[in-house]
Amino acid sequence: MKRRNTFSVGLMMGVSLLVLSACEEPKVETSIYESVEQCKRDPKSVKSECESNFKEARAQHAAVAPKYATKEDCMADFGADKCEKAPYKTTSGGSVFMPLMMGYMMGSMMGGRRSMTSQPLYRSAKSPNTFRTADNKSAGSTTGRTRVARSATSRPTFKRSLQSRGGFGASGRRFGSSAT
Amino acid sequence: MLRIPVNERPDLMRIASEHGLEYSAGTGTGTSTGDGDGITGWDESAYYQFTLRQIEEDLEAPAEELEGMCMEVVDRAVTTESVLQRLEIPEHFWDYIAESWRSGEKNLYGRMDLSYDGKGPAKLLEYNADTPTALYETAVFQWEWFEQTTEMGLVPKGGDQLNDVHESIVDAFPLLGIEGVAHFACNNDIEDDKGTLQYLEECAQEAGVETCFLAMEEIGLNDHGQLTDLEDRAIRTLFKLYPWEWIMAEEFGAEVPNCGARFIEPPWKAILSNKGLMPLLWGMFENHPNLLPAYFEDDPAAAELIDTGSYVRKPMLSRQGANIKIVQDGQTHFESDGPYSEDKHIIQGFQSLPEFEGRFPLVGCWLVASKAVGLCIREDKTLVTGKDSRCVPHVIAG
Repeated sequence: MKRRNTFSVGLMMGVSLLVLSACEEPKVETSIYESVEQCKRDPKSVKSECESNFKEARAQHAAVAPKYATKEDCMADFGADKCEKAPYKTTSGGSVFMPLMMGYMMGSMMGGRRSMTSQPLYRSAKSPNTFRTADNKSAGSTTGRTRVARSATSRPTFKRSLQSRGGFGASGRRFGSSAT
Repeated sequence: MLRIPVNERPDLMRIASEHGLEYSAGTGTGTSTGDGDGITGWDESAYYQFTLRQIEEDLEAPAEELEGMCMEVVDRAVTTESVLQRLEIPEHFWDYIAESWRSGEKNLYGRMDLSYDGKGPAKLLEYNADTPTALYETAVFQWEWFEQTTEMGLVPKGGDQLNDVHESIVDAFPLLGIEGVAHFACNNDIEDDKGTLQYLEECAQEAGVETCFLAMEEIGLNDHGQLTDLEDRAIRTLFKLYPWEWIMAEEFGAEVPNCGARFIEPPWKAILSNKGLMPLLWGMFENHPNLLPAYFEDDPAAAELIDTGSYVRKPMLSRQGANIKIVQDGQTHFESDGPYSEDKHIIQGFQSLPEFEGRFPLVGCWLVASKAVGLCIREDKTLVTGKDSRCVPHVIAG
């Protein structure tokens, strides 16, 4: 089953849901940046948090970004030159692809407590001006301080690779004993 | 250092089956003149004898000194990207490895392979720091041989063995701070690996750790990015008899830095279990008496070493003697097969293993919690110790 079709359908649904939910879903304040530099240039940002938030988002990127078996499938959803190799292989030794991280949403402090983590953002081919979370929630198109649907701020789920078991063992089958 | 022929214990077949070791025709030694029935990978038709001074000064102390030097290599490697790149460790794991080192994740064991003839200083050939073999033969089987042969008078009384391996491992487990169940995993299809792992599991149990066993390929991944067992329980501690370089190259490897499980051996061991360690050690401790010169193959100094006509060429990640080439006086003296020919290689100075009765013994020094606590000698008919080598027991006397 080609992932591309699943994702494309998801995108379309996401857009239409957005039209409805914009009226109904509560919004929360957050900050979105394309880069650490852009964050630091914003007079309203807390400079010390620009880099740490970026790193936190970046650390999740490989785990939460949608995964594809071919670069073509990924580019169909995210655009030409907007995909990269995910840092692992399938059990049959094939590559895995994911969209490039195009920005990040800052984690927020509410009442002095960290209430949400930073997360990576992406741009789809069909709506390249909009930031989307790894769970395909729209985060709007504004950088800097902005308001997004509350559901867009929830921690993105881990996108397991193409299998959920058996992701170890391929080298053992190839080389035999682990002993040295 | 002497190689002393000795009678085998009677009824080796029964002894082998008690320990779950393979016994068959043609794999043992029978007599010292030819192959006969025996235990696979074991030869008790002779033993090596060392003096206490040789053990303490030529093996134990240098092994611990080398261990300290290795820790310095790790310390430098975790903050030097070019070193991690040299070792072919994927960038995705650099922060993970550095963090495991900085937070002091503990190592359990490893085996240093040394060329030693009883006279000159022992030379480190490589460090099997992640998945060392011959643990059971060393810790249990060799010790039992010593006790029984001493009692039977086959070996003179009053001797000893450098062999505290079992007790040291059991003592080390509680210090690892394992909470809850520790999962033990290996490649299920390899009997030897399974046997070694089961022994380690028993040691952990003896130390009061709750354990369970599964095959590496049975490990799953849940939606929270945690590794899971066959009952979908999250794995919190994984004792793996499976090399880090394989894990890092496999599909679930990418998830390991975020999976929340603690690994034994810890990730920073990947820096030591790589033969690239040898050029790194030489680079930091050039001319140390227990080191041989070593360079990465593309280092200009490697070409100079090759020009001397005597050197060894090894893949950085080969195991069990595969893909090794020994050149001596301009002639290729020995070349072994294997699946690692595509690896990056190192060039190391050649020092022949000593020869005793047509056999070449490699001295393996076991370190547990970074202390030298055991010795195993593996003999081969060639200069490269490999799958067909046999463990030969040792005694300390004099």
